[in-house]
Amino acid sequence: MRSRNAQITIAIVCLILGVMLAIQFKTQKTINESLKTGRVEELSQSLIEVTKQRDALYEEVQELRDKLQNIRQVDQAMADLQDEIMKANMAAGLVPVSGPGIILTLNDSNRTLQSGENPNYGIVHDYDILTLVNELRASGAEAIAVNGERLTAVSEIRCAGTLILVNWVRIAPPYEIKAIGDPEMLASGLNLRGGHLETIKILGVQTNLQKVDKLELPAFSGAMKFTHAQPVILKNEAE
Amino acid sequence: MWLVVIFCLLIGLFIGFQIPVSFPVLYAKYMSIAILAALDSVFGGIRAYMEDGFDSTIFATGFVVNALLAAGLAYLGDSLGVDLYLAAVLVFGVRLFQNLAIIRRYLMKKY
Repeated sequence: MRSRNAQITIAIVCLILGVMLAIQFKTQKTINESLKTGRVEELSQSLIEVTKQRDALYEEVQELRDKLQNIRQVDQAMADLQDEIMKANMAAGLVPVSGPGIILTLNDSNRTLQSGENPNYGIVHDYDILTLVNELRASGAEAIAVNGERLTAVSEIRCAGTLILVNWVRIAPPYEIKAIGDPEMLASGLNLRGGHLETIKILGVQTNLQKVDKLELPAFSGAMKFTHAQPVILKNEAE
Repeated sequence: MWLVVIFCLLIGLFIGFQIPVSFPVLYAKYMSIAILAALDSVFGGIRAYMEDGFDSTIFATGFVVNALLAAGLAYLGDSLGVDLYLAAVLVFGVRLFQNLAIIRRYLMKKY
């Protein structure tokens, strides 16, 4: 049955097969040139994954930027707070301070007492120191120490027998009051006519007022305890 | 006969390479299965021709239907998630080798 018909059919089929083969060769060639079919899925998978990772990282970047912004703000706030704390500490006398000021030395009278003279007059009393300290404060003293005891918001100056207590520490004459502030202002404040310093000078107390360019006051050495006082935080301040 | 086959194949290849037709990459797999089926048909046809049992109609329809069926089966397998094209490859591959073996024997007998 080797007819011409069969040959023609085979010829046509072979022709078609050839065309198909050629097209397939070309297609396969382009596939091999660009991507292998097997890798397409893999790559698309990794593309999806990488895209997800990129999105996650982008979010992370945003988050970190926000955090950085916050931290900057917080840093600013922290710096402000530190500043405030330092100021408060200085005001409370919890840090040593230095600066220009005056040194006022007081000592009991070295005069021999006349008969009938009240010996109390020539002695430096607690209220003398208290009044002078008050005077210094009024003259703009920013920090005051008596015999190395820094005066704080809770410091007391009171008589204890023959001695004076400051910060619950007994101090004895000569009393040395150191005050930091404008030396001129402090000195003139103390030397006011009719002031306490003049009065005790007249009474016989030995006084010596010195202006100094640089003075160093120690910090309050005791502990500040608040057992009864509670801070009242205002609501609008807390916010 | 052999001359016709080889000659037509070469002409087909030439035409295929010349015409600017390319298959989409996505369907290249089905095309390759179809080509495998077509190759099987052609070898089967040659074998039948040598056995003097050649039928143009069977050959032509076998060629077309086998190719389409193989491609469709592969597509179905892909849609179902079963690698059905492997079955097509196996079946057509086995038949291809059988046909080739038979053709070889005939040729050896002949010459």
